[in-house]
Amino acid sequence: MSRLSPLAIHPHASSKEPILAWTAVTVIALSLLTLVTLLQRNLDLRIDAHAAKIEELAQLPRGEHLKPALLGYHHLGADVVWLRLLQVVGKKTNTAGEYEWLYHALDVVTTLDPQYAYAYYVGGVVLTNYANRVDLSNRLLEKGHRENPGEWNLPFLLGYNHYFILGNAPKGAVYIAQAARTAGAPDFLPGLATRMHAEAGNPDVALQFLEALWKENPDLVVREKLETRAKEVIIERDLRLLEQAIGLYQKKYHASPKALTELVSTGYLSRIPEEPFGGSYELNTQTGQVTSSTHPTRLKVFRLDLENAS
Amino acid sequence: MKVLSIAFNTFRENLRDKLLYNLLIFALLMIGSSLILMRLTLGEFHRLILDIGLGSINFFGVLIAIFVGIGLVSKEIEKKTIYTIISKPVARFQFLLGKYVGLSLTLLINTAIMACGLLAVLYMQDVPIHAVLFKALIMIVVEFMVITAVALLFSTFSSATFSAIFTLALYVIGHLTPDLKAFGEKMGGLGKTILEGMYYVLPNLDRFNLKGHVTHQLDVPTGDLLVIGAYGLAYTAFLLTLASVIFQRRDFR
Repeated sequence: MSRLSPLAIHPHASSKEPILAWTAVTVIALSLLTLVTLLQRNLDLRIDAHAAKIEELAQLPRGEHLKPALLGYHHLGADVVWLRLLQVVGKKTNTAGEYEWLYHALDVVTTLDPQYAYAYYVGGVVLTNYANRVDLSNRLLEKGHRENPGEWNLPFLLGYNHYFILGNAPKGAVYIAQAARTAGAPDFLPGLATRMHAEAGNPDVALQFLEALWKENPDLVVREKLETRAKEVIIERDLRLLEQAIGLYQKKYHASPKALTELVSTGYLSRIPEEPFGGSYELNTQTGQVTSSTHPTRLKVFRLDLENAS
Repeated sequence: MKVLSIAFNTFRENLRDKLLYNLLIFALLMIGSSLILMRLTLGEFHRLILDIGLGSINFFGVLIAIFVGIGLVSKEIEKKTIYTIISKPVARFQFLLGKYVGLSLTLLINTAIMACGLLAVLYMQDVPIHAVLFKALIMIVVEFMVITAVALLFSTFSSATFSAIFTLALYVIGHLTPDLKAFGEKMGGLGKTILEGMYYVLPNLDRFNLKGHVTHQLDVPTGDLLVIGAYGLAYTAFLLTLASVIFQRRDFR
């Protein structure tokens, strides 16, 4: 008996002690963890309250400097910056300054990985349609097109920017032709490119173009923008139709019609087209000009082309 | 024969190293984490798995090469176990070569395990696997071989801590040497000669980096691959020769 250890003699006392000790340690550890969490939360509120996530993008060093520092892991670096900027774009509205930083971040991503075609494309779409910064969009897309001549959708998007946003139909047509020549381009592109060269100012060509782009972009905001643009083009098409009918009317009667309905009653039109935005087409009886009640100014791209033609 | 028995002994010794398992588990965790990160991205989520996977294999392999490699010789000296080997009819260079082959074997098996983890994730996500992935993995192993040789070289004449610092520094420099050449071209004259000399003497580790090729499925011509492999092996041989010369003259007291 005397050989037994003290543990066996006082089983109760010895087993209780470790349990007490463990409980105490656990409680202390848990309360310290809670304290750390609380302090961290407090610091978050104090320091990070005003610094939105997006501002961090502005502090990214230039891609040229970042790339060597990543020691060969620059593709992974591009992914990390990409993930961070996606969290920013996820927000519906951003300020003008925020879009500048977004462009900067996209520039960094595409410098770290110049073959990241998807980043150029998404960047191009967002900068044009969300940010209304076609200059930055074009700069990014030009860089992408230079680095990836095999990607058809980068010149395709450049063509869209030049044709619709900048109103430079001939330049837009050149890019679409480049896109059409790229391997893997969809079948409709060569046809569109040819028509754009021949009749860049034709609203039907523009509608075909918009439809093609609509199919490429599943994003709802972008699609909404494209639909609005398509409606604007439809207005232009309708206005041309009406003007043509008025021209014929004037040739016959040597006077402008008093109202648009006269074009229908005299048989120059089968019916007055519906204004796609829900407004109406109005005739200025003095000048013989027709305008849309919702969009009084006409689309730049077609006006420019008309000026070139005249 | 002597070399091989030392190599297997080193391999068995490495398997007892807890550091090895920690790094391996961490690498596998990183590869697995790409499955979660993938949900945050937009568009090409395959890309994220490949980038994180290959990045982890490369990074953790380099850590193993450095932190196990630096102990190869210096540990034997510290524990005085070196006397029992040196006193046997084993040439010093055979001892070094055995140590080197042992760690290379460990790294090869480690890379294979990590690659299996990556392949499993790719398979689960139905990502098409291209031949270039295996080419990149082979080149990653060649990079490990060079870095192990660097670690071994430093461990023949300095302590483990210093060897780690030197090897890490050389790893960083090895990825920046193209800049040396570029700077040299701008300087001209003597500066150019010195910088170009440094460029050719220091290892150009960027040559072994084919991770981007895997991401964008760009194939690497076999000819290029063979030259890169030959470069890696030749550089390794150079480092091992240097290490043998230093180790031969070293006095253990």
